[in-house]
Amino acid sequence: MTMTKSRRRRATTIIRYAVLSIWAVIAFFPIYWMVSTSFKPSTQWFSWPPIYFPDPPTLSNYMNVWLGAEEYDQAQYAISSQKPLISMWNSTVIATTSTFLSVLFGSMLAYGVSRYRILSEARMFQLLMLRMIPPIVVVAPLSLYYSALGLLDTRIGLILVYFLTTLPYAVWMTKSFIDEVPREIEQAAEILGASRWRIIFEIILPLIRSGLVATFLFILILTWSEYLLALIITKTQVSTLPIELSKYQGSTEGRVYGRQAALAVGITVPLMIVGLVIRKHLARGFSFGMVRR
Amino acid sequence: MTAVTLPTTGGSVRASARTVSRQRAIRRFKLVLMTPLIALFLGLLTPVLLLQLYFSFHEWTVYLGSWWDAEFVGFDMFANVFTDPRFGWAIVRSLAFAAGSTIGCFLFGFLLAYLMYRPFRGQAIYYIIFILPMLTVPVVVAYTAEMLLYRNGPINDLISVLTGTNFQVAWLSNPHLALATVALLEIWNWTPFSFIILLAGLAAIPKEPIEAAEILGASKWQIFWHVQLPLLRPVILLALILRFLEAMAEFPKTWALFQGGPGTATETLPIYIFITTWQYFQISKGAAMSYVVMVMMVGIVLFAIHMLRREKRSLDVMYGTAAGNLE
Repeated sequence: MTMTKSRRRRATTIIRYAVLSIWAVIAFFPIYWMVSTSFKPSTQWFSWPPIYFPDPPTLSNYMNVWLGAEEYDQAQYAISSQKPLISMWNSTVIATTSTFLSVLFGSMLAYGVSRYRILSEARMFQLLMLRMIPPIVVVAPLSLYYSALGLLDTRIGLILVYFLTTLPYAVWMTKSFIDEVPREIEQAAEILGASRWRIIFEIILPLIRSGLVATFLFILILTWSEYLLALIITKTQVSTLPIELSKYQGSTEGRVYGRQAALAVGITVPLMIVGLVIRKHLARGFSFGMVRR
Repeated sequence: MTAVTLPTTGGSVRASARTVSRQRAIRRFKLVLMTPLIALFLGLLTPVLLLQLYFSFHEWTVYLGSWWDAEFVGFDMFANVFTDPRFGWAIVRSLAFAAGSTIGCFLFGFLLAYLMYRPFRGQAIYYIIFILPMLTVPVVVAYTAEMLLYRNGPINDLISVLTGTNFQVAWLSNPHLALATVALLEIWNWTPFSFIILLAGLAAIPKEPIEAAEILGASKWQIFWHVQLPLLRPVILLALILRFLEAMAEFPKTWALFQGGPGTATETLPIYIFITTWQYFQISKGAAMSYVVMVMMVGIVLFAIHMLRREKRSLDVMYGTAAGNLE
């Protein structure tokens, strides 16, 4: 009896590790392929049979893409050498600024919702519509509106749209942290004469510091990788990294996989670092208070 | 404060005057908190929606001079949209794509979460590997897929080696497969999302009902079916709804990889609206189409929100009373 039970337990353990390992390979292989291609010399970008380990590994793709080390031949003329670094700067400015605005005003709103019910539960859910309706349905009028305002192809234009579209996440996520702060602290502060604004900025926000950082990084993931709105709103002056990568398709007929991969790795690495830092908070960001502990 | 304008006499009224001024201060405070949201609504969202409404009733393309002089055409644009078979097919494709990828993400995510919700050796490292696909920018997913899926590419090669056959599927050029290829990419990309929230949901299920069922002699299957699954329902619903809505809006992977092709094989709603507006420059038709899609999506979202609210309320009741009983 105990024999069969322990044997069955061992069988389930083996099955568990087998299934998880297979999925781990599926999840990891494309990422491995991207990284390994970025280190391959051009003859190995698409050869038959495929080459799984770069031999010898080279940094030339990175030098080319990020530093413009080599003169560009005819095929890559449209991609000027220093562009990716400029796009990296654009992406950084746009993503961090819009995320900062979103978290700052989102957390203030969330405080109002948590303590003063400025938005009813129904309104809170309606807020989610900003996120749930596909953005494609408004991009054409948005681009005309922006061109009338002179916001087309500017950082501010993109920052404002990202601010709007990420606000629901910011409000929901920071509210879940604020709800956990006991009210007694604020009541004590109020009795001691602290104003409402001081309570927010000097008591509540510092108390949920780690939650704010988690929310910030969570929203940074969304703004960093956004594609459609950036594609519509930016033209030539301001392009973000995803747009820069997609230019490889239009401008180069020959497949320059190694360089695409070197650019892709540069876009992905910051995101993965951010994601892994906040991995324990991801469920909270996504679940709108539906997962209780 | 200005509360003194009220007819006041005596000490008790001074207290009430203070209450009034306090209430005013609170109202002002609330208004200030709301200001950014109101400003974004009035300054950004409302004009955009009004413009879209204007364009769906006025025929205008970029070749026609100033848009504010466009001709009023009533419901012509909508008639045009509803009689366009390409639009109908785009709806069908979008629904099929969203349903297929949602179910795929859910099944894989649930399997992984169920295998992982109890601590075991290596749990942390598996978790990290499993969330990586979600942290890959969608455009990067598309370009990496291009490197992996061409006919003599590594994926076909690996499958050939593993199965000992000459596996040569044209993932990218076969029109019957293209949409499925995007769906597979969507599943690869977003299974981590379903996995994460289902894992959190499974881990958050209280132990007591499961232990009670074990003592009563329930089998593992019975516990899963009659205890864990019902308790998990809100989270399951959330995983399905959010994934479905996001998949309906999927644009970057489909566009970067296929631009709607081969032929019209991957022309989903976002792609078709994009092509109509930015390649055919039929702004008005695009706007009318957008309006139809928006109304459809608002309907779907309102239904989804209704379901989510119901689940959340039952959760509030469940956890609220549980806490009350403990005290």
